[in-house]
Amino acid sequence: MASADKPINTDVPEKDVFALHFLQSLSNLRRQNTFDSPEKTNDRVKKIKKAAYVSMARAAGGTNRLWSRALLRRAAKENNKVVRFPRRKKRVTCLRRRSNRRDPVEEEEAERLRNLVPGGGGMGTSKLMEETAHYIKCLSMQVKVMQCLVDGLAPK
Amino acid sequence: MDNELFMNTELPPPSEMAMHFEQPSSSSAMLNWGLMDPNLARNSPPQDCFMWEKSTEQQQSIFDSALSSLVSSPTPSTSNFSGGGGDGFIIRELIGKLGNIGNTSGDIYGAPMNGNVSRSASCYATPMSSPPPMMNRTAPLTEFSGDPGFAERAAKFSCFGSRSFNGRTNSGIPVNNGKIVNSGKLTRVSSTPALKALASPEFASASRPMIPAGDSPPKLPGEFSRKRKSVSKGKSKDNPLPAASPSPSFSKTAERKEVSEEKGGKRRREDEGEEEEGNKGGNDTKPPEPPKDYIHVRARRGQATDSHSLAERVRREKIGERMKLLQDLVPGCNKVTGKALMLDEIINYVQSLQRQVEFLSMKLSSVNDTRLEFNVDALVSKDAMISSSGSRVHESGLQLESLSHHNYNNNSQLHTNVSSNNMMLHSPMKSLEPSALARGFTHLPTLTQFTDTISQYQMFSEEDLQSIVGMGVAHNPNHESQSQNMKIEL
Repeated sequence: MASADKPINTDVPEKDVFALHFLQSLSNLRRQNTFDSPEKTNDRVKKIKKAAYVSMARAAGGTNRLWSRALLRRAAKENNKVVRFPRRKKRVTCLRRRSNRRDPVEEEEAERLRNLVPGGGGMGTSKLMEETAHYIKCLSMQVKVMQCLVDGLAPK
Repeated sequence: MDNELFMNTELPPPSEMAMHFEQPSSSSAMLNWGLMDPNLARNSPPQDCFMWEKSTEQQQSIFDSALSSLVSSPTPSTSNFSGGGGDGFIIRELIGKLGNIGNTSGDIYGAPMNGNVSRSASCYATPMSSPPPMMNRTAPLTEFSGDPGFAERAAKFSCFGSRSFNGRTNSGIPVNNGKIVNSGKLTRVSSTPALKALASPEFASASRPMIPAGDSPPKLPGEFSRKRKSVSKGKSKDNPLPAASPSPSFSKTAERKEVSEEKGGKRRREDEGEEEEGNKGGNDTKPPEPPKDYIHVRARRGQATDSHSLAERVRREKIGERMKLLQDLVPGCNKVTGKALMLDEIINYVQSLQRQVEFLSMKLSSVNDTRLEFNVDALVSKDAMISSSGSRVHESGLQLESLSHHNYNNNSQLHTNVSSNNMMLHSPMKSLEPSALARGFTHLPTLTQFTDTISQYQMFSEEDLQSIVGMGVAHNPNHESQSQNMKIEL
């Protein structure tokens, strides 16, 4: 049996941590590019979106969370950068038993979830749920931060 | 304050208002309580005894017997504070007597109570003029009785000591027992660890009638919240919930406490199931020393005991637990039951969140204009203010708002201020906020919070700063200005 943490820890940092990271990334973007060209709106959007995700991943879990790690790795790959994560000490887990672990109905849903949550491919269902919970929390936090920013910057 | 206490006794409340204040007897204590309560409630500031003001004297009278036993020796201190403070002091003494320093009560209580506790603590420290011996005996009681909520709390805690103190119940408060406040008011009270310490051994008997639930062995204060729930549910669990549960639950309502207890109870069951020797299944058994490697499961009655089904069951339980977690996160999932539907909901929610992020990033990209500069500067200056002053969230929020409506010239002003990195920022900033724009900048206070963290992150080099400012403002290259000038430039 895999080890179990009794209280599932899904704490996310405060909003300001997210905001900090996001704003940092935005300023980085600003520094790198000239944002004034309207043709590149799409690119800009994509960049901002990516910056949002990456900053969220950094703010939320760093490398402690599977999804954040996967996200960062994915982003780094897009930038043709290699990201190395410090390998966590592998916990001793017994081999998973091939019993009726996978419920077909549940598996279908889990598959969809895996497609949504970064890094979901390599997780078992219970781990996936844990990561999903944390991911949801971080996403909502990030959405709040971005909403605040948008509200502040575009008052009309 | 002692005088106050005593004076209060002269206003006899309707019930048991025998002014036997001077009588060092349990009955007098009871009466004193009854007398004291309304007066104390009047005298003490609200936050002093926000709980204590509530109960009636009848409630307090319950405890006199228990208290009298406690307060055998003259207490050296009577509260100089209002009744609420005195109550706190008494409680603390009692706690000390019980060997439990009620220091945790300060933590346990919510914000409003902290003042109370601190007051009691302070009154503990202050040298109290010892009242006459009689008063010593009774004054604490009276002070105690001044705690309206005490009865409630004791009632809540009655489950602890109810069994062992049967004989004490009838120690002379026959009248009041019947009039005990219903346990419906106990919700808030139970959070007091101090009270728990006091109540559990002492007042359980007194408050026993108030508690509908049956007996349960006296429990440590830390377990009270758990006990109460178990008592109310008719079960009694001995395993303490995680230590964290008492403190956070204290400030919550009873329902929430129940929820946390529920979860804790659930976990406890799991623990029990898991910590038992896992030999039932015949496999996956290991000595419990490395419990984290193996989950020990006890086969339930009537269920297959082969390893597969056990493991399957454990796995299902885990997933179920996580589903519950997710259910709390995803709004509107309470009605949906069943894994498939829940998962559908979750997937929809995640998708909607991701779409929101995309949409907002689109919006942000379109916002890219000088307005951003303003806000960046505002944020930066706010950050500077924060770093210099510590916490001026609201102030800076206001100023940020005003800043956002100023043209870029002001920003330069701000920047100079920022670079100066001193408190002088405030005056020029203030001049900039002629019109307090309470416009959609509600978020700013939240953003201001992060500027605190920003100041800790000396991320941006000076050149960044200058490029962002675009003004070549020669700022002090001290690290602080660097940190302040987290010029978020877009």
